[in-house]
Amino acid sequence: MSDPLLELDDVYKSYGEEQVLSGVSFEMDAGDVDVVIGPSGSGKSTMLRCVNRLTEINGGAIYLNGECVTDADTDVNELRKQVGMVFQDFNLFAHLTALGNVTLGLRKVRGIDKAAAQEQGYEHLEQVGLLDQADSYPAELSGGQKQRVGIARALAMDPKLLLFDEPTSALDPELVGEVVEVMRDLAAEGITMLVVSHEMGFARSAASDIIFLDDGEIVEHGPPEQLFENPQAARTGEFLSRLETTHEGE
Amino acid sequence: MGTPESTTTGRTIRARAAGLTDQPLTLLTVGAFWTWLVVRWTNDFLLDGALIERNTSFFPTAPFESAASTLGGLAASLGPVGFPVGWVAGFFEFLAASIPYLPPLATGVWATILLTLLGIALGFVIAVPLSVARVYGGGATRSVALGYTELFRGTPLLAQLFVLYFATPLTTIIRELPTVGTGFIPAQAFWVAVIAFTLNSAAYQSEYIRSALNSVPEGQLTAARSIGLSKVDGIRHVVLPQGLRYAIPGWSNELVYLIKYSSLASFITVRELFQRTDSIASETYRYTELFVLAGLLYLALVISASLLMEYVEDRVAIPGLGTTGR
Ligand SMILES: Nc1ncnc2c1ncn2[C@@H]1O[C@H](COP(=O)(O)OP(=O)(O)OP(=O)(O)O)[C@@H](O)[C@H]1O
Ligand SMILES: [Mg+2]
Repeated sequence: MSDPLLELDDVYKSYGEEQVLSGVSFEMDAGDVDVVIGPSGSGKSTMLRCVNRLTEINGGAIYLNGECVTDADTDVNELRKQVGMVFQDFNLFAHLTALGNVTLGLRKVRGIDKAAAQEQGYEHLEQVGLLDQADSYPAELSGGQKQRVGIARALAMDPKLLLFDEPTSALDPELVGEVVEVMRDLAAEGITMLVVSHEMGFARSAASDIIFLDDGEIVEHGPPEQLFENPQAARTGEFLSRLETTHEGE
Repeated sequence: MGTPESTTTGRTIRARAAGLTDQPLTLLTVGAFWTWLVVRWTNDFLLDGALIERNTSFFPTAPFESAASTLGGLAASLGPVGFPVGWVAGFFEFLAASIPYLPPLATGVWATILLTLLGIALGFVIAVPLSVARVYGGGATRSVALGYTELFRGTPLLAQLFVLYFATPLTTIIRELPTVGTGFIPAQAFWVAVIAFTLNSAAYQSEYIRSALNSVPEGQLTAARSIGLSKVDGIRHVVLPQGLRYAIPGWSNELVYLIKYSSLASFITVRELFQRTDSIASETYRYTELFVLAGLLYLALVISASLLMEYVEDRVAIPGLGTTGR
């Protein structure tokens, strides 16, 4: 058996007194798409940020391809080249065009020259259907377009794993579709993704596994059909029915 | 779907109130001022007075003198209602009396510009790391940067000039340097003033840049780090390009202040605009004419600087960044 692509092993994280992650463990194989759901404040964002070490854990370990990446001597910049991240509020570089956003990492992190970086940049913009917006600045793009640039920016680094933190929750409902479509394409291409999202359509159709996180603990972890149709834990069922009520107008 | 929320371009998105650049008369005046300055300097410094003798003005005084005396006579003959004509006569008298002092003052303007530009540019080089240290530095770095800023903003610039000039070996050291004070290279006092302005202006500039850096959303650096940029590279390639744009309006104030504060260099014998004005005035007793003239020259410099900065701000404008953010 080869190592899993990502493994969280008994991960703990606290902010001062507040315990945010209490012994989180799970594994993902290459090509998996895991969707994390859970109430606000349950630690979903924190868990993602621990994986690319935007946040440091207090206990346990995280392995990427069998290598521990939470050691003190791990080069975080090397780690982040392999783990892309897509943010809820896009965080596009406001002073750069769509193309500039996608190529900055190629040029300044990978050291690729401008012409070659742009060539790759155009490819990634095409991948998210935004070739025609290459020269637009973030302020000139719609929310959905911004998020697709955000995805292209992460893809450009050719990561082994893509983290998505509620990629559609800052979008107007009519713009969610275009982003979900891009994410489905990526899933179909076999890109490994760890996605925090309550976009049930995506979760049902694209996820290999659903992880239900509550109060810093994984309450339930399983394939979507099991978790959605036949939840084992009472808490999961409660959360899912609450989720349905809040989303029923859509 | 798929259409951008806004298709505004760099210029229109700013919806700025009409600035100096939109006023043709200002542009014309500033253009005439710089034409005169550049021709004057070229003649005096480079052509060795080939166009006109060094201390002779380009503009004749005779026409203004005769206009003044004609109008003066007219005003007198009009009696009590002649005073508006008298004012116009006074204006021509002022012109006639001021014109001969324009050439030496143009030389002073050169020194003032040089002092200001060197001070602001070198100060900027210090101010950027200083402000980055204030915003992103660790405890010690941050304290040192804060201490520096407080020291130079909290004490009078004149005191800083005096301390550097009289109380440190700086003056002697610079004087001993080769070429200082020969040919086009100004003497030591000028360089001490440049150092003082650099140190002082760095403190003020760093305040403007610091608050601009603070207005760059935190997510920008997070995103930069998430693609593998180090903190330093993230600051350099993502935070600074945005922060410095935000800083332009405030920073322009500092440039304007420095133009005027550079006159303090006269206290340590630097022969800039104020010093020349003052020394000619005390020789000729033409205080009013000279200081009004100097004031006008400073004003022209300040307006030029504002125009330049407006132009720069426009040139580097990016849709969605800048005025809309504040
Ligand atoms: N930098 C921080 N400092 C202190 N506390 C934090 C920090 N980041 C997160 N927390 C706390 O950790 C807890 C979990 O936050 P987290 O953002 O991971 O939750 P989440 O599941 O992503 O919630 P949401 O659905 O609202 O995004 C919250 O109680 C939050 O207040
Ligand atoms: Mg969150």
